[in-house]
Amino acid sequence: MNKIFALAGVVIKELYRRKDFYVLFVLTAVLTFAASAVNFFQDEKIIRYVKDICLLLIWISSLVIAIVTTARQIPAEREARTIFPLLAKPVSRAQVIAGKFLGCWLAAGIALVVFYFFFAVIASSREHTWPVVMYFQAAWMQWCLLAVVIALVLLGSIYFAAPSSTSTISFIVVAGIMLVGGHLNTIALSQPEPMQSVLAGVYYFIPHLEWYYLSDFVVYNMGCVSWVKILAATLYAAAWTGIFLTLAWLGFRRKNLTT
Amino acid sequence: MKISPPLTLAALLALAFTLAIGLAPQAAGWSQRDKAGNVFGLMFGDGRKLFANQFFTMADVYFHSGYYPSVFDKNSDEEKEIISHSHGKKESEEDEKNEDFLGKPKDWIDAFGRNFKITKHTHLEHGNEREILPWLRLAADLDPQKIETYTVGAFFLREHLNRPDQAEAFLREGLRNNPDSCEILFELGRLYHESLHDLNRARNVWELGVRKYLALPPASQKESKLIFEEIVVNLGHLEDEAGNYAQAINWLHAAQKVSPAPDALQVQIDAIQKKISAKQP
Amino acid sequence: MTTILQTEKLRVEYRSRDFRQTTKVALVGLDLEVRAGEVFGFLGPNGAGKTTTMNVLLGFVPPTSGTGRLFGIDVRQPIARQRIGYLPEQTYYYKFLTAEELLRFYAKIFGLAYAEMDKRITNLLKLVELEHAAKRPIKSYSKGMQQRVGLAQALINNPDLLVLDEPTSGLDPLGRMKVREIIQRLKNEGKTVFFSSHELGEVETICDRVAIIHQGELKAVGSVAEISAGHENLEKAFLKIVGFQPSPLLP
Repeated sequence: MNKIFALAGVVIKELYRRKDFYVLFVLTAVLTFAASAVNFFQDEKIIRYVKDICLLLIWISSLVIAIVTTARQIPAEREARTIFPLLAKPVSRAQVIAGKFLGCWLAAGIALVVFYFFFAVIASSREHTWPVVMYFQAAWMQWCLLAVVIALVLLGSIYFAAPSSTSTISFIVVAGIMLVGGHLNTIALSQPEPMQSVLAGVYYFIPHLEWYYLSDFVVYNMGCVSWVKILAATLYAAAWTGIFLTLAWLGFRRKNLTT
Repeated sequence: MKISPPLTLAALLALAFTLAIGLAPQAAGWSQRDKAGNVFGLMFGDGRKLFANQFFTMADVYFHSGYYPSVFDKNSDEEKEIISHSHGKKESEEDEKNEDFLGKPKDWIDAFGRNFKITKHTHLEHGNEREILPWLRLAADLDPQKIETYTVGAFFLREHLNRPDQAEAFLREGLRNNPDSCEILFELGRLYHESLHDLNRARNVWELGVRKYLALPPASQKESKLIFEEIVVNLGHLEDEAGNYAQAINWLHAAQKVSPAPDALQVQIDAIQKKISAKQP
Repeated sequence: MTTILQTEKLRVEYRSRDFRQTTKVALVGLDLEVRAGEVFGFLGPNGAGKTTTMNVLLGFVPPTSGTGRLFGIDVRQPIARQRIGYLPEQTYYYKFLTAEELLRFYAKIFGLAYAEMDKRITNLLKLVELEHAAKRPIKSYSKGMQQRVGLAQALINNPDLLVLDEPTSGLDPLGRMKVREIIQRLKNEGKTVFFSSHELGEVETICDRVAIIHQGELKAVGSVAEISAGHENLEKAFLKIVGFQPSPLLP
């Protein structure tokens, strides 16, 4: 386990020594401040649109951080050839995959903590309340989603050598699932066969990432989701993460790496 | 052929300068081709109307605290823009019955997924209606010709948020952008009548609305028949309230000509006539 | 003497990525044995299979058939690499890390205890003369400094077997001398060194035994004296073994 944590540590160091995170955080902060500075009908109590915009930016930023950071991990190791001194040590390829995953996931988690703290400060400045549990649930679910996304991107990065291809495809897949994944069963009903069966099949065999978007609960102050449901969703995310990581390991295990 | 870089640069600069002189007056005309000479108009062009509609819908989404049908949900067309049809009033009982656009869960994925989305039909209340205002403001900025934005916004400002001053300013802005709008005049009249209790100003505005309606071409009159009826009925009530019973009856008679329920109006006319009879010695 | 590194009938085939999926044989039943405490030179012309052999021994490429063992453990097991140090031909390290961080990272991979880790990092930085630059990111290092970081990372676990891939290639004379010194020192400490090189003069002076590989096959193995027997020097013997025909146009 120490080896996995050591690998994860390097990933985290890399992320926080690059400019990506800071740029995205500053961009989120600037846009949120700009949005909150607008006075609509001289009513200073209006806040939900600011929360909505801020959470959307947090979603986009964290997704960008997770996807872009993960997509370059294995290809960059291969391109910079740092993979060779690494694999010449007593470390298995499964541990490399696990370490990369853990590093990206923890890095995304740290980013989420920073982003959500900023969000909480902005929201409480007008609402004068700290619904910490609700924020925690939203952040936790987002982190669970990022686990699935990071594992998926890691899998993609084994097969697509260019990080840009992996990032683009991952963005399309994630956005596609978020937007229409939950409606595929409805869409399937209006399609002729065999499209109907294909869409229904896809509906059952994709990770339903749309469940992990709890921003509406936070924006509209709709209270917390049952912890049992959160736990079930966490297990579902863990299962999909495991599936993608296993596939990534299977792809990476027998891959020829020639110096 | 040998091309000299300084000469090429000079030629291109001269071309750009000449084009700028020739096109500048026309460009000024382009920016005024509609009445939205603001930054959004410049940024989005005609596409801003799409954004405006989306923001108007967002106001409705906020009014329902996120409980809103997507394009994939059943009866989505019927459910959309409920606040616009009712001018912000609560939906009718029939609407409430049809509110369950989600239906029964189709499978376990659908059923489980509902734990993570808003499935309760609620409306903003206790002053929280203010949260829809930013979207209406943006919709108005993006499409100043979208009349519903002003009427809905003004309704919430005066009725739910007790801000008649802001409602009046918003309607006045709408009127500047749409000087012939009977809907805005009607809403402005309601503001003076119901919120500010200024019968004279309400009368003036509504009478202007009637004149605007009558000046419309016949095809447009047909489209605006409903709002015309509302104006004249309200004028009738206003005159009744002011004690001008004869004038009130005149307005109600005018309303009867366009109303789908003239009998109901006749009942009101009869009631006013009784008041006249009772007043006479 | 104990066998530290061993290959038996090692065969490696690469399948091309083109439509026909043609197969290229890189190693043909290679049998190799490196004993404890010896400095073993692995020679061969370009494309002979030296790098492929190293890739298999380090776990980068799985063998198509046959086996490779380090300390008696199959090279496919990561634990086989617990007691080896590897110095690649060029410097391939995380450039955003400092030398100290890089060494700490590799020390963690080897599972060194923290107290031992600190001591060893300090000693190695001293050995490769990088104490002054220990806290600077590697990206700010010169090529020679980066090569020295490479050497330090190869020694972080105090390895019993050092695998060096063209260790002196691209180094200036001073750098080469330093590497030779370190190899000699490791030899004196009883470590085993397995290295590939084109520098036949260098091999001649350092190595106890030498193997020559050509077209994926082992052509000769033995001490420098054994291989050079009947030839002017190791270079002539090497050229003869790999079947090099001097051009008749050359003087």
